Amino acid sequence: MTAPVRSRWRLGLGVFAENRLALVGAGIFLALAAFSFLGPFVWHTDQVHTDLASVHLDPGTPGHPLGTDGVGYDQLGRLMLGGQTSIIVGLAAGLLATLVGTIWGAVAGFVGGWVDSAMMRVVDAMMSIPALFLFMLLAAIVTPSVTMLIVIIGAFAWLGPARLVRGEALSLRTREYVQAMRGMGGTSGRAVRRHIVPNAIGTVIVNATFQVADAILYVAYLSFLGLGVPPPAANWGGMLSDGLADTYSGHWWLLYPPGIAIILIVLAFNFIGDGLRDAFEVRLRRR
Amino acid sequence: MMTSRLLRTVAVAAGAILVGTGLVACSGGSSEEGGKGASKDSATVAFRTPNWILPISAPGFTQGENAIFTSALYRPLYSYQLDGTAQYNIDANRSLAEPPVVSNGGKTLTITLKDDKWSDGTALTTKDIQFWYALVTANKDKWASYRKGGFPDNIADWSVKDDKTFSMTTTQAYNPAWFVDNQLNRITPLPAHAWDSEGAASTPAGAKKVFETLTAAAKDPKTYDANPLWKVGSGPWKLEKYVPGGEVTLAAQASYSGRDKPKLAKVVLRPFTGDDAEFNVLRAGQIDYGYVPAANTSQKSYLESKDYKVSPWYGWSITYLQLNYSNPKTGVLFKQPYLRQAMQMLIDQPTISKVIWAGMAAPTCGPVPPKPGTTDASGCVYKFDPAAAKQLLESHGWKVTPDGQTTCLTPGAADTQCGEGVAAGQPLTFTVTSQTGFAATTKMFAEIKSQMAKLGITLTIKEVPDSVAVTPACKPAEATCGWDMSFFGSQGSWYYPAFASGERLFATDAPVNLGSYSNPEADKLIDATQFSGDDSALTAYNDFLAKDLPVLWMPNPVYQISAYRSGLQGVEPQDPMNSMRFQDWSWK
Repeated sequence: MTAPVRSRWRLGLGVFAENRLALVGAGIFLALAAFSFLGPFVWHTDQVHTDLASVHLDPGTPGHPLGTDGVGYDQLGRLMLGGQTSIIVGLAAGLLATLVGTIWGAVAGFVGGWVDSAMMRVVDAMMSIPALFLFMLLAAIVTPSVTMLIVIIGAFAWLGPARLVRGEALSLRTREYVQAMRGMGGTSGRAVRRHIVPNAIGTVIVNATFQVADAILYVAYLSFLGLGVPPPAANWGGMLSDGLADTYSGHWWLLYPPGIAIILIVLAFNFIGDGLRDAFEVRLRRR
Repeated sequence: MMTSRLLRTVAVAAGAILVGTGLVACSGGSSEEGGKGASKDSATVAFRTPNWILPISAPGFTQGENAIFTSALYRPLYSYQLDGTAQYNIDANRSLAEPPVVSNGGKTLTITLKDDKWSDGTALTTKDIQFWYALVTANKDKWASYRKGGFPDNIADWSVKDDKTFSMTTTQAYNPAWFVDNQLNRITPLPAHAWDSEGAASTPAGAKKVFETLTAAAKDPKTYDANPLWKVGSGPWKLEKYVPGGEVTLAAQASYSGRDKPKLAKVVLRPFTGDDAEFNVLRAGQIDYGYVPAANTSQKSYLESKDYKVSPWYGWSITYLQLNYSNPKTGVLFKQPYLRQAMQMLIDQPTISKVIWAGMAAPTCGPVPPKPGTTDASGCVYKFDPAAAKQLLESHGWKVTPDGQTTCLTPGAADTQCGEGVAAGQPLTFTVTSQTGFAATTKMFAEIKSQMAKLGITLTIKEVPDSVAVTPACKPAEATCGWDMSFFGSQGSWYYPAFASGERLFATDAPVNLGSYSNPEADKLIDATQFSGDDSALTAYNDFLAKDLPVLWMPNPVYQISAYRSGLQGVEPQDPMNSMRFQDWSWK
């Protein structure tokens, strides 16, 4: 049983590797992750204490290759710190949303009937409220922290995956092998665990990459609106927001680096997602 | 495979970083012809549409624009100036009456009206004051300026001597300066001959009926410029055009009897949907007077290059960080004077004002604002001094752990111990409820948090849209009273009337004493400002509270950063009490 599975993954990997943009995306992500998580071990900065005597220093100032911000934090170090928050929240919220959405959608689609109707009306109802509005409301009620941002974004971002997986489940539950398992006395739980979810895994994984990219953007949106993690914590969205307020002063180094970082990581996850979609596409695998 | 989804996300992210430069590019080249010199006898002003015209304030309609609008049409009995040159701060040039003559041990004030007329030529007399008094007395529950025990409850006798003179006797002797500045400031003569020609308001029932009619008319903005009721005024302006939620045009009142006659023929008040919309129009040169939103202070030089003068409008205000003495956990800490002093010493007000607020804030040193425009902190009792703060904590039994968690090492009530009610091991950890939407406020608290962290005091900053709403006053040790510190001063925490006494802020159980500060000595001094005739009472009150720290004093941001065409004269000095006097404006 393991050999075909391994070969399936190997075939998928091969297709993924053929997609150059996907490899570029993976490379960008790894580079940004290394910059954010390993960078602070190389470039030591004080990201806790402000220094009002050193605000808005130009890039190239000794000790501050990317200058300093409005309270004297080293901008390069701040980018690293901000990257940590953005990546952690993006990954965790994206995965949380995918997990919840997958289970919800699989159960609704497989069980069907009134359970499906009830579960999907919940999804419809929640989708009818603009997500950003809900995020802002929740972020205003609770004290924003990394954990809270993950929970808040994850709690509402699962609606998309739920719909997607429910569609897959509706299709899969009528397949012969599922019917055969049910005919032999298999339970619904086993059908969902062993057949529905594994067969929808390609869709789920591809969607997960987009969820991560979306979650990173949501963090950026929330921080842009002043509802992100409070200082001295940082994230790229919040840095972008601060930088925007300083645009007219000519402090370009506060605006472009976090903005470019957001673009790069969102691009990276979208490239990876496209690559994974190819990898899970059976027809491409058989080329 | 590049998907539309990908394009969308890239476009969103790219748009975010390009929006700044985009704004510059888009608006920078806009025409300047719209407002500049379009007409030299008019001015266009960024101004929210007022929605209340009756010069008796009503709950829900107390916005600043309504006060400016009504005072342009109906002059108050007294106008004030804070330059310290006039008796009781009365602006003799603009007031309708001479300063009151105080007698009967401070209880009776006799007021004589000047020779002024209504716009229809009828003389303005004591009948018009009496009419106002009858209306507010019979309808005080509907009057936004009414406070229980205040005006008119504190009037024992009101009498009219003749057409020009009337007097009032108070229930107890007040400090005349307090009474003139903080009570008589509510009086606005109303045109009795036009609004109550039958004299119905002479009885309480009649006054209620007249008030009802006037209030109903005031609640119908679409009729403001047509309703004959509002045609008779005493102010320098008359209402020419009113569009509900839109532009309002004021025209000079030709028959205005005051000394400060309008120099412009017309003033157009133009509302905007938000700060960005206003600022884009200002940048495009399409208004003569506007304001620079806090997020755009860095554009001062750009505006100056476009022939605007950018000027901070200092308010008669103070800004502070409210401490919750009723918090069951941290209230006991705030009750320790040495701890408040230590925390105050960790707030570098002069540097924060200069660097973070870009000079658009000034230190607050006590409850009485300094002379408007004062920007130094020389009068502050507690200077920024982290070393002294550390010494203060250590000398009171705290184990100071820089960048860690400072805890109480020696509990007890003695001078060298943490203080009564503070337990061993209790940490100095507080949550600050602050405001969203103000970049400078966020940076300011990043700085304060950083300074506090250096002494092991942990601040968690929580930003919410309305910090006042979520940090209400609570009863002592109320279990649900969870907030520690509250900040609502991004545009100033408190604006005073002319006499800056603290009976509403720092007296025990005062209505705006959100933190439940209580000190018998402070109460005594506040009472003195209100009831004694001693000129030094206000200074004594200020000195005591500046030192006792009922709150932590914070940098006081300007009321507004105004931007007006350099050719527009008379805008300055800008009134610290937030009034706008368009009649002083003229073109060079």
